[in-house]
Amino acid sequence: MRGPAREATGTLVARWIPDEAGEEASLLASLGIPSVDALFADVPKKARIGRLGLSAGLEEPEVVAHIDKILARNRPLGKFSNFLGGRITSRYVPAAVDAILQRSEFYTSYTPYQPEASQGMLRALFEFQSLWVELTGMDAANASLYDGATASGEALLLCRRLHEGRRFLVPASLPWEEKSVLQNYATGPGLTLEEVPYDARTGNLDLEFVRTAVRSDEVFGMLADVPNGFGHVDEGLWELKSILGDIPYVVSGDPLALTVLEPPGEYGADVVVGEGQGFGISPSYGGPLLGLFACRKEHLRLTPGRIVGATVDADGAPAYTLTLQTREQHIRRSRATSNICTNQSLMALAFVVYASVVGPRGLAALQVSLAEKARTVASTLGSVEGILSPRFEAPYLGEFTIELKDSDAASFLEKLRRRRVLGGIPLADPRPGSPAGPARILVAATDTTTEKDIQKYARAARAATSGVSK
Amino acid sequence: MTFRQARWDEPSIWDLAESPPAEPAPAVPGLPERMRRKERLLWPELSELQVLRHYTRLSQMNFGIETVPYALGSCTMKYNPRVSEVLARRDGAANLHPHQPEASVQGALELLWRLERILSKVTGLPEVSLQPAAGAHGEYAALLMVRAYFLERGELGQRTEVLLPDTAHGTNPASAAMAGFTTREIASKDGCVDLTALRAAVNEHTACFMLTNPNTAGLFESEILEIAETVHRAGGMLYYDGANLNAILGITHPGRMGFDVAHLNLHKTFATPHGGGGPGAGVLAAGEKLGPYLPIPRVVKTGRKFHLDYDRPRSIGKIKSGYGNFGLDLRAYAFAISHGEAGLQHVARRAVLNSNYLGQRLGTSLPRPFRTLVKHEFLLSGTPLKARGVRTLDLAKRLLDEGVHAPTIYFPSIVDEALMIELPETESKRDLDEYAAAFERAVNDTPENLHAAPQRLAVKRVDEVRAAREPTLSWKDLRHRTPNHQKAASVSAPP
Repeated sequence: MRGPAREATGTLVARWIPDEAGEEASLLASLGIPSVDALFADVPKKARIGRLGLSAGLEEPEVVAHIDKILARNRPLGKFSNFLGGRITSRYVPAAVDAILQRSEFYTSYTPYQPEASQGMLRALFEFQSLWVELTGMDAANASLYDGATASGEALLLCRRLHEGRRFLVPASLPWEEKSVLQNYATGPGLTLEEVPYDARTGNLDLEFVRTAVRSDEVFGMLADVPNGFGHVDEGLWELKSILGDIPYVVSGDPLALTVLEPPGEYGADVVVGEGQGFGISPSYGGPLLGLFACRKEHLRLTPGRIVGATVDADGAPAYTLTLQTREQHIRRSRATSNICTNQSLMALAFVVYASVVGPRGLAALQVSLAEKARTVASTLGSVEGILSPRFEAPYLGEFTIELKDSDAASFLEKLRRRRVLGGIPLADPRPGSPAGPARILVAATDTTTEKDIQKYARAARAATSGVSK
Repeated sequence: MTFRQARWDEPSIWDLAESPPAEPAPAVPGLPERMRRKERLLWPELSELQVLRHYTRLSQMNFGIETVPYALGSCTMKYNPRVSEVLARRDGAANLHPHQPEASVQGALELLWRLERILSKVTGLPEVSLQPAAGAHGEYAALLMVRAYFLERGELGQRTEVLLPDTAHGTNPASAAMAGFTTREIASKDGCVDLTALRAAVNEHTACFMLTNPNTAGLFESEILEIAETVHRAGGMLYYDGANLNAILGITHPGRMGFDVAHLNLHKTFATPHGGGGPGAGVLAAGEKLGPYLPIPRVVKTGRKFHLDYDRPRSIGKIKSGYGNFGLDLRAYAFAISHGEAGLQHVARRAVLNSNYLGQRLGTSLPRPFRTLVKHEFLLSGTPLKARGVRTLDLAKRLLDEGVHAPTIYFPSIVDEALMIELPETESKRDLDEYAAAFERAVNDTPENLHAAPQRLAVKRVDEVRAAREPTLSWKDLRHRTPNHQKAASVSAPP
């Protein structure tokens, strides 16, 4: 073992690892040992390593300068006319939301295993669960999962607990990443995903396909998303329960959309999942996100994740606690309903604080305004030769899909980027060997989108499709 | 030091203001009437100050690292550096979309790449993916990789079993079951893996042995090289649960110990804040055998450019959206470069010193079940308290009244009335001494006081049985079942 690695006084590490007045020596003296080395006597010599091969530590100003230099190689969203959306948005977050997230009692706390010491977080999570219940029209929600895609994966597993079968139906239009995540949740129990084709004109689910599939006795569940992978609202979702019958029906819903759309609980959903990032969480290059999960009360004991419940304390006063824990891995181990331990509590707090600051009227107004803007974007791009916009004839909210007639999506978007336009998300699976398919791009209006941005997009798109590069 | 937590009679958020009157949600152009929300979202309209005051008051009824020492074993509750919070909120970090073209996120990719290289050195395993959202998520992804590996070799039909010690974290068997394996627990001997029992258990059905080292008893598995050889000779994989990595940073690493794949919890060892239960970040590091199966995309450097590589035909695919919890990766990177080579070793040495010192002090109050040379954490048994009619749970609640967080309790299950205690390197000697004094006061308090604890927090002992028996999980439940939560509560108050 190398010599003692204690840091010189006054360094950053010395601030973080206290050694006031040489307290390490005092700790060693209490233990009656000459050196910390003695505490590693149980690590066999053959298992020891020499150096890790890392650089020397830095001081705080150096850390800041170093990371700022790296971050300067990014061009954040505000430097562009930004039309990126999908499950992750770049909506403005009121400063009050982050003020709450920065309360160290919230962000530096652990899972509320001791409810008496954690009433603040438990109550906030109870309010979060309540909000997702109101948005979805379901009976109960959990205290969050990792993200929308993994929440869908957990929903798939719940469906299998509720119904026999090996096949899980998903829209062919579901984003490829979500299909890949779902496949990974299906793999363990040996289940398969089956893609439901969509109508070429509307992008809506082929309900006849679903009718045929459910007759096979092989289908144990189905997921449909609103808006769907093309950004559209599929009226077929309102028919699905009558087709599926007792086969569990999962809806993946966008929380902002659910402020103006009928809650899925009203049209037969058994589980409602979603991605909650759009409510008060910065996009942060895709993480941390927020997985939303709500279900019917009769299925509660088969569901994944932490759940907060209201109860009373020894004086009969209202109190909150994690509950129904016998479902969970720390008690049930290999027979748990999920392996989840860490969730996204702080992001759940952001979700409920954001919604409370913006308010129910403000949220719905925001969705209406995005929908209005999206229509302007769609019609403006529709006037560009070589672009079919919107590609599908179905209602939409803040997003829709365009299709390029003669260019490929990647080079089109790269040309736009050079003109400071982020033109949307290419829908094709980027893995080599995946079918090329049509050049489709998911385009979103954002709360920062202005008329000027829309015109800029159209100009850049014209230049890109006519082969003129900057 | 006398402690009292704030106790606000703060209403729930929906009781702070009337919700707007029932009315349909506003119409969206082009949206058929049938799809429209018939009643606007039921939620109160509040001023910004009302919202801030509400959640600030709630925060004051919650323990955090900046207010109290947080002795939860296996959770490694260390100081979360403030500088990382500032950096993660930079425009160039927070306001990046995962679908931006690569040319506009070169800094983000560079940061991920650099962190991967550091974590590769820390784990001694060449290939790293930052994609999993948490430790358990990393476990699950790794077991899918093990599965894919054996599937490709035509051995999956045979290798169906995951072995683990009876001290394993609950996530290990849960992840193994989700990945389609059966699990078998190996009984420990003196708190460590019983090598004889392991040798008897491994065979041609063994897919993987999952182990954390140091283990959940706080003990270093000194026979780790023999364990690795045993598992590998049977053709199985060795999995490293990195929850307890803090104790061995720069001393040894999973690669040197013979592990094939490891997950790390950046929210433990690398000091990213855990936010009341999450977010976390569960890095995966793999050796040559399993590396090709890591999730896609991988971050690669070509010349001076960074890009996302999807061309990994043996990859298991995606395990979540995006590329990992970037905001936490950035914080972990700041932590790693601040410490550097010597600093990370210093972390392990001081964490282990703290643990041994506190173990020695608390060992005078309650028995320590295994050997006393420990790593990041140690166990005590509350068994002697039973003679006074007191349980470990009572002691934990009484500790809260001292203004310190309780240890992890009733885990691992091989120890009766277990307390699992970890106060990592950022706790000073003074804090350790105060913790020890608080613990002694709590242990020596009267059974009446222990049963009645806590008394100084926002609420008294919480009735968890009632919560589970009559699940009340949302405002909707409160509205439907008990119009007035408060009133219902007082009806059932004990005499």
